[in-house]
Amino acid sequence: MSKWQQQLRTWISRYFDLPSDVMLDLPRITTIGSIHVYIENHTGLLHFSDEEVRIQYKKGQVRILGKDLGVKMMLKEELLLEGELKSVEFLPE
Amino acid sequence: MKNQHDFFQGIMKVQVEGPLIEPFLQACTKRGCQITNMRRLDASLVILTIRLKDWKIFRQLRKKYRCKISIKGGKGLPFIIQHMIGRLSVLLAFIAAVVIIFVLANTLWSIKVDGLSPELEADVESKLNSYGVSPGKLTIGMKDPIEIQQQLLEDIPDLLWIGVKKQGTSYHLYGVEKTRYDTEMNTRPSNLVAAKKGMIIETFIKKGRPMVSVYDVVQKGQILATGQLVEEEDLFIHSEGEVIAETWYRVAQSLPMEQVLSLTDGSVESEYLLKIGKFALPIWGFWRGEEGDFREESHSSNWSIFGFHIPVNMKTIDYYSIDRKAYESSRKDIEEIGVSSARSNLQQELDPDAEIKDEKVLHLSEENGKVKLILMYKVYENIAVTKYVSQGD
Repeated sequence: MSKWQQQLRTWISRYFDLPSDVMLDLPRITTIGSIHVYIENHTGLLHFSDEEVRIQYKKGQVRILGKDLGVKMMLKEELLLEGELKSVEFLPE
Repeated sequence: MKNQHDFFQGIMKVQVEGPLIEPFLQACTKRGCQITNMRRLDASLVILTIRLKDWKIFRQLRKKYRCKISIKGGKGLPFIIQHMIGRLSVLLAFIAAVVIIFVLANTLWSIKVDGLSPELEADVESKLNSYGVSPGKLTIGMKDPIEIQQQLLEDIPDLLWIGVKKQGTSYHLYGVEKTRYDTEMNTRPSNLVAAKKGMIIETFIKKGRPMVSVYDVVQKGQILATGQLVEEEDLFIHSEGEVIAETWYRVAQSLPMEQVLSLTDGSVESEYLLKIGKFALPIWGFWRGEEGDFREESHSSNWSIFGFHIPVNMKTIDYYSIDRKAYESSRKDIEEIGVSSARSNLQQELDPDAEIKDEKVLHLSEENGKVKLILMYKVYENIAVTKYVSQGD
């Protein structure tokens, strides 16, 4: 059932040329060089410290590693991080 | 994000402490909070900035997540206002100062009236007072200078013109008085009589019937013109006019031949005294002896502070040394001096309109070092005086 729904969504987004983050409930992560990270469509902030920020999304977690990380702005589904970015890792469930 | 909106709404720095910081923040943002500038200081300590209106949500949720929140500072208009209210006394003092300056600047401090006689000046001042224009009153709500001017001109008939000028906190008034001619007619019946003996040179009778003609010699008290226009009738009028007559004056003078003059030779010594009340304290020059002939001139300063005379002043005495010299004058000089002084003396005694026509030395003799001089003067002057006629009813 879930798998069938997922396949339908992927097909619709491809067929109608819709942005995949809207259709698939995936986070959109934009980085500006290695100084800013802009995360949209997340579902929660799990952990945050100077070196590591972990964010929950529908199907897993995103781990952002870096140095001197700080949250510049935090809204319901948006997050703007700043600092020295090293890596973005996806940890699907 | 700092912008105008944040400034007016107010933002605050908050410290959050506790084991469940992330879930707490997540819950807050779910309810619409906006968190900015978040920094982790410790494993269980975070500093962040929130909007003032989000503070309620934070407080509601902190119990649930067992977080301790404390305010570290606030920025924006609401905090400034709060700060201002905290300094209410300063604010009140500022407002009071502004009000006082405003009131003092709008107070009338002085009224100056120029160009009028003291009585009229007092009249103008009392009128101004009745309009509410007096020193110490506020100029707000006072009439315009132009209006005051018009009202003064209406209320005081003796004023020909008055200028009212407002200069800062004072009023300057400059008035011109009406010159009043006595238009009231004198209707008391009267005659014109001679004030002294003389020979008529010219008559000019404005009203009345002339009784004398030119070259008549009149005695003192003689009627020159009468108010009775028709003889043997009871109709009397006020007579007016001028009668110029030739009058004679005899002036006798005796002048000494020798005159002693005191001349200053230019050397002067000064003595200074400080006067305190009636007591005089010599300061300088008090050592000079009293020798020789000298003329003393003393003057003291008049010191005053703020219009009050103070009893302390400086007295200066100048001693001019003098030289007496005797001059022997010749008979001719004496005669000249006598004639000119007699003439000026007579001129002073006479009416300003009178004219000295002729002078003649009647007698000049010398005896005992003195010159005796008798002079005769011929003067043209008005001898007519008004004499009222009492009408027996």
